[in-house]
Amino acid sequence: MSDPGAFVVEDEATAHGLIRHLVLNRPDKLNALDLDQHVRIKAAVESATDDDDVRVVCLSGRGRAFCAGDDLTARSSPEPDPLEGRRVDLDLGSGPTFLLESAGVLRHCPLPTAILLHGHALGSGYDYSLSCDFRLATEDVNYGDPRIHRALWAAEGWSYKLPRLVHQSAVSPIAYLGETMDGATAHACGLVHAVYPAGSDLRAAAKPFLSQLAALSDAAYRETKALILAGVDQDFGSALATARAAVA
Amino acid sequence: MAQESTDGGVARFSFEGQPIDYAVLDAFIDWCRSATSDPEVRALGIETQSEGDAGDDMGNWPPRLSHRHPQGSHGPGPLLEQEAIKALRGCMKPTIAILDGDTLGLAFDFACTCDIRIASESARLGDPRIHQGRAAATGIAYLLPKLIGQSQAMRLLLLGEVVGAAEAARMQLVHKTWPEADFCEEAGAFVQQMAAMPTRAWEVHKLQVLPQLDLPFDAAMVHSLGVRQTHVIEDRLEGMKAWRERRDPEFTGR
Repeated sequence: MSDPGAFVVEDEATAHGLIRHLVLNRPDKLNALDLDQHVRIKAAVESATDDDDVRVVCLSGRGRAFCAGDDLTARSSPEPDPLEGRRVDLDLGSGPTFLLESAGVLRHCPLPTAILLHGHALGSGYDYSLSCDFRLATEDVNYGDPRIHRALWAAEGWSYKLPRLVHQSAVSPIAYLGETMDGATAHACGLVHAVYPAGSDLRAAAKPFLSQLAALSDAAYRETKALILAGVDQDFGSALATARAAVA
Repeated sequence: MAQESTDGGVARFSFEGQPIDYAVLDAFIDWCRSATSDPEVRALGIETQSEGDAGDDMGNWPPRLSHRHPQGSHGPGPLLEQEAIKALRGCMKPTIAILDGDTLGLAFDFACTCDIRIASESARLGDPRIHQGRAAATGIAYLLPKLIGQSQAMRLLLLGEVVGAAEAARMQLVHKTWPEADFCEEAGAFVQQMAAMPTRAWEVHKLQVLPQLDLPFDAAMVHSLGVRQTHVIEDRLEGMKAWRERRDPEFTGR
């Protein structure tokens, strides 16, 4: 099991409530994610969702990179396996399904969610970014999903999320060619919302944006987010009916 | 008439700058199905330059479909065009549209059905059928808004604008461009690169993206799990082995 200190939860006060920072803290591994880290992320998002004082959830990574991707050197944990009996590994084909669950919990978190991308933001780190409401990056970030170059693939839902966040045409170089993006490229296709100079202290630079999120009406944000997430799967008539019911 | 060739794992089809008629569509369908099922073919390249949609001059209706001739008040229906588009979209190998010269109307539909579009800087593309008083029934009204967003799709389909390669790249409709003088060589090398990729992993990506465009979230998650549990890819072992040995992988597409 990776050191519990590999994942840090910090609260930052604003005039309108707390920003809950979920920080990957394995800088020597460029914050590569093993199963323990996925379990911690899921638990931390659920805990933030249940905490009335928290107004914003923000993922970030300490050190030179947000996240270099999956920890391919990870060894089996001597601790009891939380997924015992639920693994779907077919030796050549698959791994645990936990990332699908943890990324799903993040996507459905009703609070504003943001992610700070610097250095490398690859693989599973990229997967989590697609579940957030806002992506903020440095201009020199190395961001994307090069797993196809190792004939690897994830099934945590990127294939549903990415074509809805950007246009399908922008999906092809990211998903099929495994091309990674810098901040300007990711901003140009609409995936990243704000880009900061290379070498920025991203947490400090993003503070005004995160504070702005914290200041928004909690109820209005929750309802609007729920309508957007439902709306992307609905026809127009159903979306109107859902919206009517939400404000009734 | 169209040209077909296969080289180094790449199957290529060219419309040869001619109008696309029923005979060409029939040849395309046969080629596409054959390339899809041929294990030696790793990627499909389609040279889409044509004289656009032949419109009212599609030639003779194929005899094999004589019992299904959808003759109506507006002439033959789009049965064969849709079959050709479906054959291309149903191919899970990498599909690359190679745009040089004009890619208009029905040829534009084929280009938009591919995974990747590459173009010479002098290429032009678009759908001027609306200026002929015709509505395309090839699925482009579904495909294009998903590819580039509804706003730009309205511009191309409703105004019938034909755009150059630079503007198409700005809209992200075209992924790579090269000067006309270098295009043949660069495009050939690019398509070969696609064929050397782990094309079974590409297939699994595509197998998730395309159906999930039409699925709600929960169903899409179940679909992804189904895909991951039912696809075994040998290249994955090579990918991991090469990573451990710090070398470039050599994929077989299996």
